[in-house]
Amino acid sequence: MQLVCDNLSFEYSDNGTIVLDRLSFTMQGPGFHAVFGPSGVGKTSLARIISAGITGYTGQLHLKEIKTILYSYNMERLPGWSNIGNILRQVTPSGCESLLEELITVFDLDSLMHSRFARLSLGQQNRVNLIRYLVQDFDLLILDESLANVDEKLRHTILLHIKERFSDKMFLSISHNLMEIATFCKKIVVLGSRKEEGREYLLQGMDVQRDREVAQDIAQDMLPDRKRLDEVMLEIMNAC
Amino acid sequence: MLVRRFVRRIAQFLIVYGIGLAGLLGLKYVLALSDYVVPDISLILETAKEVIADYIPAVFSTLSVTILGQVISIILAFSVGIAGRKSSWLGSFIRVTAYNIQAYPIVALAPIIFILLGDGFISRLLIASMICYFPLLLSVLGVMAAPVRDIEHFYRATGRMTWQLEVKIRAFENLSKLTTVISGSATLAMAGTIVAEFVAANAGIGYSIRTALYQSDLAKIFVALFLIGIIISVYQGLLETVGTWIIQKTSTEASSHE
Amino acid sequence: MNKKYALFTYILLFLPYSFLCLLIVTHSAQAKEHEIRYRLKWLFNTSVAGDIYANKAGYFAAQGLQVNIKEGSPEKNAINELELGRAEFGVASADQVIRALDKGARLVVLAQIFQVNPMQWIYRDDQPEIKTLNDLQGKTIGITFGGNDETIMRTLLTKAGIKEKEVKLSGVRFDFMPFFRRQVEVWPVYRNSQGVILQDKLTKEGEAVRFFNPAEFGVNFVANSIITSEEMLKEQPQVVEKFLTALLQGWEAAMNQENETKVLAAVKALDKNTDARIMQKQLASTRGLVLAEAEAKKIGAIDMPAWQQTEAIMLQAGQIKRAVQVEKYLQVR
Repeated sequence: MQLVCDNLSFEYSDNGTIVLDRLSFTMQGPGFHAVFGPSGVGKTSLARIISAGITGYTGQLHLKEIKTILYSYNMERLPGWSNIGNILRQVTPSGCESLLEELITVFDLDSLMHSRFARLSLGQQNRVNLIRYLVQDFDLLILDESLANVDEKLRHTILLHIKERFSDKMFLSISHNLMEIATFCKKIVVLGSRKEEGREYLLQGMDVQRDREVAQDIAQDMLPDRKRLDEVMLEIMNAC
Repeated sequence: MLVRRFVRRIAQFLIVYGIGLAGLLGLKYVLALSDYVVPDISLILETAKEVIADYIPAVFSTLSVTILGQVISIILAFSVGIAGRKSSWLGSFIRVTAYNIQAYPIVALAPIIFILLGDGFISRLLIASMICYFPLLLSVLGVMAAPVRDIEHFYRATGRMTWQLEVKIRAFENLSKLTTVISGSATLAMAGTIVAEFVAANAGIGYSIRTALYQSDLAKIFVALFLIGIIISVYQGLLETVGTWIIQKTSTEASSHE
Repeated sequence: MNKKYALFTYILLFLPYSFLCLLIVTHSAQAKEHEIRYRLKWLFNTSVAGDIYANKAGYFAAQGLQVNIKEGSPEKNAINELELGRAEFGVASADQVIRALDKGARLVVLAQIFQVNPMQWIYRDDQPEIKTLNDLQGKTIGITFGGNDETIMRTLLTKAGIKEKEVKLSGVRFDFMPFFRRQVEVWPVYRNSQGVILQDKLTKEGEAVRFFNPAEFGVNFVANSIITSEEMLKEQPQVVEKFLTALLQGWEAAMNQENETKVLAAVKALDKNTDARIMQKQLASTRGLVLAEAEAKKIGAIDMPAWQQTEAIMLQAGQIKRAVQVEKYLQVR
């Protein structure tokens, strides 16, 4: 499983703004990877290029053992004509019903299945949205701020569960949450204005798993590798 | 709630009608005009007593054509709007054709319609539909041609999007706009029917207005306008109520599910 | 806050009406100085040849008048215009005049141009000739509901004792198709305008026509008349006299066959859509209606008994609520 961006460039045709300039990186293997950078550096454009939502870029995109790519983003909505339970069941492929129920429980959404989407908080809406992507057949799922507005503790629970449950899938997370990316991701592509020409920063994250039993304690500064985490975060900040 | 809505609508109409009548009566007394030019209240009331028995069935006849014409134009507008929502050649062709047809003033087309179809029910219905149809079409096209990306993205990405689902999403997301336009188009359908009756028909309140105009009988015209105003207020109130009910029914959940 | 908002809304609603009233009042006083405004009953055509010719041949100018002749329509009603001060003279049908008098309008009739009402019915001559009113029985007769042809026809039927169910009254509109298709046998026309056109079309198809003239059966419903306001007659009698003199001179000259070419040219300048050949026939027909009984009467003579009959018919038909004694408003010269 491999995602290779080779000299990828993209500019908006209407105003000529260059969004991506000769971007090259390789991500290998299943697990959580990330794209990090300040607003406006082209994270979403990159995600949409990878998910075939944008054409007209230059350079090469090589995918190995990745056939189905899905792209989910913050603020997506479900139709309002039925309750969430019905809508989720309608889009769940047969055979994945138990996975759906499992995710509903892990994502703490059991009590909301009879509600309409518009009635939910932003965090609840994002959790519901992510569930319907996770029950689909995919090889690579891009999560563009897909867990925004979800409280930190629950977000970490969800991330650890996804890493465990979908260990054979590749995820590409786009987030502004520095600590989260440093903690949970394997490879981190840092897009930023300080990069040297023709070269991106591809950093190594901590890739924390559930078995290390650290998730709930990150916020309380109880991470055994706290020093390492600080170093990773510093590296990312320097790369931006 | 329903009664209050109707009462409010009728009260609003009565205010507008009253202001209009007061303005004209003011003009009558300022310029010392005779009852022939502007009838006074007693003459209007007397005329109302004389003609009301004929005008009420006439206004209901107009209303029946209005309702049917509106239903036809809604069906047409949604059919064309759905077919023309894509930016394909066919969609663009449908849109341009619809605009072009509407560019002809209906009063210019009416004589042709009446020559072809006679001055009966069908002609009235067709003209009412044509006048009501275009604003509806514009709204439906506007709604149907605008993607609701936040909702549609998932269905496209997972290969689940069908044209029926696309239409359902866009219609549902703009339900409030569509119901407002539909209830607003009732006025247009009524105006269309009256124009049709006025130009050439043998029934309906528009025909009564034309007859009164032949006789320069403004009192009859005031009575006709009053009845039209009342009936359209009630009809629009009914449509609004149905629209509100649909929105409430579809966008809120039952309290037992809360 | 809500009260303030409501007040604001009412002010907003009142504003357009106030503006409209202001427009009406100011517009009424907008006539050019010394200009006389003369509102016709219908569009420019050969039916108003005398009016057009009076202006074109300089009869008005010779009286020192500058006259602006305006086309009319059901909406542009001369009586309304007189009252609103937008016209000094106008043309109105007798039924309009009597209705207006019934409703308190203050106007006077100065002249009656048509001695025979052009409102007649056309029918094919392969149909049995209508020799008596009873011949109308069983026929499909076209009428304009609300128009004065309806009043005339109903009077004729009453006079003949024919009940409504014994004939078929069919509403007519601007297209003649029902008559061409023989769906309606007897079709109402203005004898000197549509009558000529229909006759011409049917002649081309090899069909001859006849006209049914109510006057021949004792129903003299007066057609158009020249009117002005009582105020105008009282305050500017010289202007009224000059106008009427010029107008009748114009009509006299227009009806003189020697002037036909010039009259047709004057009408054609304003009515460009009518074919010259048709126009010539229309003028000839108009001549017959205006000059009828000319030996006994002058052009523009007011037929008092016909006016009284018209009033009686309308009273009987319930179109007016009281006898207006129309003779009091006729300025018989």
